[in-house]
Amino acid sequence: MSERSLEELLQTTNPVDLLRDSQIGAYVYPVVPSEYTNWRDEQRAWRDSCVLFDQSHHMVDIYIEGPDALKLVSDTAINTFSNFAVNRAKQYVPCSHDGYVIGDGILFHLEQNRLVFVGRAPCANWIEFHGQTGGYDVAITKDDRSPGNPKGKAVNRISYRFQIQGPNAWQLIEKLNGGPVDKLRMFHMAAMTIAGRQVRTLRHGMAGAPGLEIWGPYEEREEIRETIAEAGREFGLAQVGARAYATNTLESGWIPSPLPAVYTGERMKPYREWLSESSYEASGSLGGSFYSDNIEDYYVTPYEIGYGSFVNFDHDFIGREALQAMAAQPHRRKVTYAWNADDVGAIFRSMLNPGEPHYKYIDLPLSNYASASFDRIVKDGKIVGASMFAGYSYNERAMLSLGIADPDVAIGDEVTLVWGEEGGGSTKTTVERHEQLEVRAVVSPTPYSQVVRETYAEGWRSRAAR
Amino acid sequence: MQSTATMSGQSLEDLLQESSSPVEMLRNSQIGPYAFPVVPPEFTNWRDEQRAWQESAVLFDQSHHMTDMYIEGPDALKLLSELGVNSVRNFSVDKAKQFVACNHDGYVIGDAILFHLAEHTFNLVGRPSAHNWVQYQCETGGYDVSIERDERSAARSGPPLRKAYRYQVQGPHAQELMRKLTGAPVPDIRFFNMDVFSIAGRTVRALRHGMVGQPGWELFGPWEDGAPVRDAIAAAGEEFGLRLVGAKAYSTSALESGWIPSPVPSVYSGDALSAYRRWLPAHGYEGTASLGGSFESDDINDYYLTPYDLGYGPMVSFDHDFIGREALEAIADDPPRRKVSLAWNGEDAMRAFGTLFGDSDCAKFIDLPLANYATLPYDTVLRDGAAVGLSTYTGYTHNGRTMLSLGIVDVRYSAPGTEVTVVWGEAGGGSSKPTVERHAQTEIRAIVCPVPYSRVAREEYAEGWRTRQH
Repeated sequence: MSERSLEELLQTTNPVDLLRDSQIGAYVYPVVPSEYTNWRDEQRAWRDSCVLFDQSHHMVDIYIEGPDALKLVSDTAINTFSNFAVNRAKQYVPCSHDGYVIGDGILFHLEQNRLVFVGRAPCANWIEFHGQTGGYDVAITKDDRSPGNPKGKAVNRISYRFQIQGPNAWQLIEKLNGGPVDKLRMFHMAAMTIAGRQVRTLRHGMAGAPGLEIWGPYEEREEIRETIAEAGREFGLAQVGARAYATNTLESGWIPSPLPAVYTGERMKPYREWLSESSYEASGSLGGSFYSDNIEDYYVTPYEIGYGSFVNFDHDFIGREALQAMAAQPHRRKVTYAWNADDVGAIFRSMLNPGEPHYKYIDLPLSNYASASFDRIVKDGKIVGASMFAGYSYNERAMLSLGIADPDVAIGDEVTLVWGEEGGGSTKTTVERHEQLEVRAVVSPTPYSQVVRETYAEGWRSRAAR
Repeated sequence: MQSTATMSGQSLEDLLQESSSPVEMLRNSQIGPYAFPVVPPEFTNWRDEQRAWQESAVLFDQSHHMTDMYIEGPDALKLLSELGVNSVRNFSVDKAKQFVACNHDGYVIGDAILFHLAEHTFNLVGRPSAHNWVQYQCETGGYDVSIERDERSAARSGPPLRKAYRYQVQGPHAQELMRKLTGAPVPDIRFFNMDVFSIAGRTVRALRHGMVGQPGWELFGPWEDGAPVRDAIAAAGEEFGLRLVGAKAYSTSALESGWIPSPVPSVYSGDALSAYRRWLPAHGYEGTASLGGSFESDDINDYYLTPYDLGYGPMVSFDHDFIGREALEAIADDPPRRKVSLAWNGEDAMRAFGTLFGDSDCAKFIDLPLANYATLPYDTVLRDGAAVGLSTYTGYTHNGRTMLSLGIVDVRYSAPGTEVTVVWGEAGGGSSKPTVERHAQTEIRAIVCPVPYSRVAREEYAEGWRTRQH
């Protein structure tokens, strides 16, 4: 029996209902142990010493090879490719024909006519679709993310992928290499030696400290890992487990989970017919207090989630006209919401009082309960934004979420974040029956930083500390 | 025998020689908490999974976290009788027992479920401390017995293939579900007796079990039948509100049922056991287990527990000779301590959570739903500032809407309703266990409740402080 397509599913269901009642469960960061030590110390290490992130499992890798490889990505991306030589990488952002974000991830120029995209499924699917149907002279190889529940079976990927980050990262990198390593510019690629093996590197960084992403054949992963772990001991290296890993973005400010803008629009229909019912787009879940029966209300533009500076009209690409029309208009913008500690306390308190309302459980440190989260942000009774990725930072001793805010919302404003779903909650498996609660939050910049904490949030933070 | 010291080189005794004390060694173990491997942390969400064993039905997958040991031969029952506090008088085929083994001083080495599978054939299932002791005695005691171990998945390298799958179907709808699955009336047999069912065309052995006062079943059979049997249970269970229970919720089921999974094996001291320590490998459960919590004594003997402490008094039978008998006879009439549930004060638990958002030192993080951060959790219980017992296994129950721990307290303070204090967190900022972030100790009031903990108990005894706290 062949699978139905997303388009077929949508003949009978509103996409909002389809996704809000998805039975897929939590968005899993698979295979990597949940904690190597404990998530508090693992979070602390990326600020105070250094960390090893294992990114080998939670992202899709899609290889694009052939003379039209660059043309394919250029035709589908808001980004310019005028300066995209071999050994450069880019945050690739494709949009729908209407100029809404489909997804984003990192695109590596590995060699002449050979690229790999690494990220969540929506971009990978979009690339694969165009590779197969767009008449490009390319070969596409998809290396899917590892299964969420391997049931004890062996997992195999083409590449391992690690990051070494934190204030001590560069010392560790040079020790591993047995000599100096050039601090290339951000997103430039090179190579280094670890355990006698050549590994490829992408210059990265966190909180202003230089770091590297490294990759190589999957078979070498444990040898490389053990070498890094051993060499890292003197620098206070912590291996980061799945629980802490995904929360690093709360401090760095990247929103991993925009809803792919593929559910509507006649020009997107061939893509929906191509996408199967088991795809991320058809099976993923949507959760949170923001509810609209119009799925387009969940779409975001590149300007809204911090990619305005990537939009470049030096080339023709899908969504170009729509983005040209919106470029000069005011945009919602990406912000961090710092949650009020007393209100967060009320949510935990509800767990300890039989007979009283139960609020939606806040899982720590990552609190999302859907593949894509949308919580309502309210000010003066009006919806002024959305919270899209939530969790706890031990470094900041605060619940933080990343999201978007209307243009007239200022940094430092106090807003209300509505936590939990309406009507006792959707039927998602991650959602127990609960009531909604209003949580005060302070609008803060991304990335969220100590400066911010001290300048803007002093008031309620010190009150809450008591 | 793969787990003996002779195969691996270093023994537990060697390891202890290198350490300043057994307590220091265990408190600074780098192994982390006891693993519940392979099974996903949550199938749906742990709140609803906990609720299902109270309100509808659950499927526990116990195929991975326990060691199985098959004990076979004409002397098998003799061996088990000489090591266990339990009577074997009526222990016929198709019965099971909570087997409890003690050292010569009457302190518990380990406990596990013992299945009498066939004439002269037994299976011992649980944390491996009891298994190791039985195996050692078997190998050194001249018994006509052969032993085959099937290690828990966390202690194996390679894929987690076990000899047997092991599930439990529990909850108020478990009986109806079993009736549907087997297509026959469920046999009316007593607790811990076994029968044979047919599920999905496979022969399944079934142990009559129970939880929250409702009958339930433990099911086991050859590993290769595991997937079809599980799928059949899951499909048939839909109409009964069955939930598959993930590792997070599963690990907390002991809190509500009142079983203490984690006594310190009483093997680290005493000349009588020095040969055993030389036999035990350094890398086994006893050598690698972590000890954590606010209860601290330089003397490992202070961590040992008797069968009476753990609530196994009714199982101690002096109808046979067994190791530890004399010591237990001396305390049998008047055991000094009693097992209890401790319902934590909500405001005090909240204060501990609240430190996550403050500028002062954090309390030891209370992970939910299971808050243990060591293989062997030992927290001090105070009354009027004086130590009166231990709190050993801590977590949260969505059914009771409370933090709960299992405690062992002086008989004087064991009456339901007694107010005590649990000291949460380790002294001096914490040990070097990887699970332990720097933190400050905090005191949490708790109410003594019966075991198993029940809603009734909470309402009757805990009403006072719960209503007062607002």
